[in-house]
Amino acid sequence: MHVVCLLKQVPDTAEVRIDPETNTLIRTGVESILNPYDMVAVEQAVRLREQHGGMVSAVTMGPPQAEAVLRDAMAQGADQVYLLSDRAFAGADTLATSYTLFKAVQKLDEQQTVDLVLCGKQAIDGDTAQTGPGVATRKGCSQLTYCQAVDWVDPDSRTIQVKRKLQDGFERLKAELPALVSAELELATPRRCPLPNLIRSLQAEIPVWDADTMGADKELLGLKGSPTWVQSIFSPQPKEPGPRFQAGEDPSRAVSEGLQTLFQDEDFAEKLLKH
Amino acid sequence: MPKNSKGIEVAEILPDQCIGCQICVAECPVGAIELNDEGVAEIDPEVCIGCGKCYDVCPVGAVSFQKEKAADKSAKEKKEKAAEGVSGYEGMAVFIELDGDGGSDVAWELVGKARELAQARQTKVIGFLLGSDCKKVAREAVAWGCDEVHLMEHSGLSQYFSASYGEALTQLVDRVRPEVLLMGATHQGRDLAGIVATRLNTGLTADCTELDIDEDSGLLLMTRPTFGGNIMATIYCEKHRPQMSTVRPKVMQAGERDPEREGTIREHEWELTQEGLPQLVESVSEVSAEEVDISQYPVLVVAGKGACDEQALPLLQELAELMGGAVACSRPVAESGILPYERQVGQTGKTVAPKLYIGVGVSGAIQHRVAIQGSEKIMAINTDPEAAILQIADVGLIGDYTRIIPEMIKQVKERMES
Repeated sequence: MHVVCLLKQVPDTAEVRIDPETNTLIRTGVESILNPYDMVAVEQAVRLREQHGGMVSAVTMGPPQAEAVLRDAMAQGADQVYLLSDRAFAGADTLATSYTLFKAVQKLDEQQTVDLVLCGKQAIDGDTAQTGPGVATRKGCSQLTYCQAVDWVDPDSRTIQVKRKLQDGFERLKAELPALVSAELELATPRRCPLPNLIRSLQAEIPVWDADTMGADKELLGLKGSPTWVQSIFSPQPKEPGPRFQAGEDPSRAVSEGLQTLFQDEDFAEKLLKH
Repeated sequence: MPKNSKGIEVAEILPDQCIGCQICVAECPVGAIELNDEGVAEIDPEVCIGCGKCYDVCPVGAVSFQKEKAADKSAKEKKEKAAEGVSGYEGMAVFIELDGDGGSDVAWELVGKARELAQARQTKVIGFLLGSDCKKVAREAVAWGCDEVHLMEHSGLSQYFSASYGEALTQLVDRVRPEVLLMGATHQGRDLAGIVATRLNTGLTADCTELDIDEDSGLLLMTRPTFGGNIMATIYCEKHRPQMSTVRPKVMQAGERDPEREGTIREHEWELTQEGLPQLVESVSEVSAEEVDISQYPVLVVAGKGACDEQALPLLQELAELMGGAVACSRPVAESGILPYERQVGQTGKTVAPKLYIGVGVSGAIQHRVAIQGSEKIMAINTDPEAAILQIADVGLIGDYTRIIPEMIKQVKERMES
């Protein structure tokens, strides 16, 4: 089996803060990490290789420093990794990103037929969940998003069964290979990286593929290939905070004043208090 | 203004302002800009030709350059020109996701928003409907505000599959050609939107919290939180149609349902190719024993880390029930197991928009705040006067909730009786 993992390097968003004085992002000290959902995807890919043999490839699109997440994937057990890096990729929205990733999958397909593409359900910085369906659509393969479990893969009948999360439950789907599976966190718990893998990952030369290597149409890449453009970026306008009341030992006065403030709008009070 | 060795006045990146979006990297005609190890753009002054393109395109004003900012004007002109180039697309369309036998709430919320947008563009509201038996829903769609409903009914569309729905919706959009297509940011909507946008080679913006029409260009301005809700980005789609956007449930407001409204309903033929479709093995609706959908209540009393105590629950429950509400919780409380995950409010839980949100011991992490910002009024009860939730609260009560809530119950009762 040939399983391809699509990875993204993301800022650890829990650490991103806005400077209230200047209204800008405070970037210092914010680490870049492998998107946690993608880490789950790599674990699932490695498990499938352990079961069925074959190869796990991992790719990421990004600037040179994004190779860090490829080393993470190698440490987790990926056999080969490629950094998709080219000035022409810069400024890509999800449509252009899915094209670039698809071209990489195509190229990997030439090495050995790709049976499964695995990725996180979404990246924690953009939260769009659009790139997976974009790649599946371009590849014309089965699209299995929000997977909580890969029940089994049968390379002989070329089928896969997964458990997919739904809005209010789950479903089990059997689909044909090749397929794209996007991972919920429950899909697999990433293992601790074995030391030899870790050493190998640190020493590895990371090959770089640019637009020409992948035979990509430059009109479809990066900013040029992106239908959506950013007009502006701003910090959410902080709402003017309302009054605060100190409750202390006897809260009756604070509560009374608080409720008075809350219910001063008569329509609002009526809706909540008369039913 | 720094000059390079050729005497050209070059641009400079202000590292504190740069968000690493790489738009300047893509725009620079000579390739002088690269992201450095910290993810911040850097200009090589010896390569820079001082054209100021990076200055014009930077969305956050992170480029220092001695030039009149021409961006506003040129962007406007560009947009006007672009809008002309994509004529032949008309109407604000909504994909009407089904929920059981009827339309989903998010669909009607989007129809409400589409009416506003249609008003601004002097155009119609279109509903797209897929299913095996959905004519009744089509009439509902008209009642909620659609002028036209286009539907494909087929036994093969009774179950949602990415492939069949993707094909069907792409076909419908291709025939009807709306200028805008809105979809719910539900599991199904997100799964489907990516397919349709890729097939139609158009732009898609996920999880928008605001949608407006740009007065000058008529383009849809789509605003969404990014970086985990820490910043907002306004995005537009200039040269491709339809302009597609997904919106989470409860973010927009449904309009008035009017069963007397008139609209046209058109059926479209579709030949389903079963080949290659996945096979449904099992489908399970996991409804919790208590069957509580917290997003449906007008009042939510939300337990946070500061009220993560089983003994507090009856007290919170009493306050909530008094006003016809329900008890919900923040992430730490759900993780502790005191309340089930269905009751969790937040980025990883539910987005809610009650009339009244009462946070009890909720600190107000950004992931929680973005999920409650649609609430009409927010009240925060907290011992910590510095709690972040107080920044967005209409009323703050500082103190011990075990003393405050009994008093509140008493006083609310008095108000109800008077």
